[in-house]
Amino acid sequence: MTPKEYKYTKEHEWICPESENKGKVGLADYAQSQLGDIVFLDLPAAGTQVEQGKKMGEVESVKAVSDIFAPVSGQVLEVNQAVIDEPGLVNKDPYGAGWLVRLELSKPSELAALMDSEEYDKFEAELAEGESE
Amino acid sequence: MVRLLKKTPLNKVHHELRARMTYFAGWELPVWYASVLEEHRAVRSGAGIFDVSDMGRIWITGRNAGAFLDKVLTKRVGRLEIGSSQLCLLCLEDGGILDDLLAYRVETDCFLIVCNAGNIEPKLGWLDRWAGSDPDVVIRDKTADTVMVAVQGPTVRHLQSLKDISNLPRFGVAQTRIEDVEVIAARTGYTGEDGFEIISDATNALHLWQSFMKQGVKPCGLGARDSLRLEAGMLLYGQDMDRNTNPFEAGLEWLVEMNDRDFVGKSALLEIKRQGVKRKHIGLRVTGQGIARPGYKIVKGGREVGKVTSGGYSPTLDISIGFGYVPIELATVNTDIEIMIRSKPVAAQVVNRQFYKRGA
Repeated sequence: MTPKEYKYTKEHEWICPESENKGKVGLADYAQSQLGDIVFLDLPAAGTQVEQGKKMGEVESVKAVSDIFAPVSGQVLEVNQAVIDEPGLVNKDPYGAGWLVRLELSKPSELAALMDSEEYDKFEAELAEGESE
Repeated sequence: MVRLLKKTPLNKVHHELRARMTYFAGWELPVWYASVLEEHRAVRSGAGIFDVSDMGRIWITGRNAGAFLDKVLTKRVGRLEIGSSQLCLLCLEDGGILDDLLAYRVETDCFLIVCNAGNIEPKLGWLDRWAGSDPDVVIRDKTADTVMVAVQGPTVRHLQSLKDISNLPRFGVAQTRIEDVEVIAARTGYTGEDGFEIISDATNALHLWQSFMKQGVKPCGLGARDSLRLEAGMLLYGQDMDRNTNPFEAGLEWLVEMNDRDFVGKSALLEIKRQGVKRKHIGLRVTGQGIARPGYKIVKGGREVGKVTSGGYSPTLDISIGFGYVPIELATVNTDIEIMIRSKPVAAQVVNRQFYKRGA
């Protein structure tokens, strides 16, 4: 299930807000299930400035490659070395151990533009419905 | 636009198993069930089953069937022993490759051709054209009436259902019974592992599939089919070769026998061989970061020199591997090249195409 306290984008990234305008960013379960086994991640290095809605990295699965967009603007504080070493963590635990980067938000007000878990669940359900038709 | 989709006799099973479905050469097929990596590893270490009913299954029968095939194929199959098979190519008059296929001699005057799914109608037209009005060559496409599964992996020879044919030699073919249904079973495959390809009437599809699943054989999709054949150094028609490539540049000269007869495309192939090829199909290994995929540019010294034709992640070797065409002067093992992976040049190396070889 999608964690309640996270915020979500239409491109299926999530951000888990922490105190002092920091937060971890990752890919939603829907993204990993669509991509299949993830085998490679290209993530921005610590110190990089990212901008909301702009590409910040790439994720490659056995079958596809996809861009990763920054859910909010800010500076990369930390990259999850565990997912670089074992990209399959994103498949196994997308909302936990499979987080990608930690950001320091430069515009915390941007969070308001993202979906909460309830909105996101609805959004995802509609996508899944369209797919099965 | 309306998409005309062909469904295999196992289509419903794939949906029931909640496979991720995709479109391949006009067919709706599973790309994976749960995980490409798990399916790939099952075939490398245990046993997997693939629905390969998209492959064309064409019966060539009649007194002149063998002579006819000798005329259209690049290898002489008319003298194959009954119960054996031969990989060969179907070439156009200009030497371009129309398909790669396996020709099985099932009986004296009965051959079975298993070819690629794509462009089946033009291929049938081509065969019909060369058969002409000879009443002793009968060509029948039974793809829609039959099912074909590939059961592949190092442990398949121990499966109860396949015990009776476990002594079938590599490339051997037999008309036999499996799980009480009539089949044609061959010791062939497209994974680089031991295994069988089994053809039966479409009405037996579900029964055969379920009996293998009950024995613990893992259902595998197109994703694993692609990564397994890539590791094993096997080419895919439509990507690694097509009408615009000839067998010599594709590195398939071992499938061409020119000394014992005349056949369609022979004079062109002799001329191509005499002149020598300008480009060559090679194996490549990405040494930098990223995955090479079909269509990516191969560059050398900042200049585009070719394209990746197949590529992906190798689960067995945990590296990024692929095939592509490069000018002949670069087609030497250990040559440094670069692959443009989304506008960034990434270091790669020319290597032998057989990335994986199974143990004896």
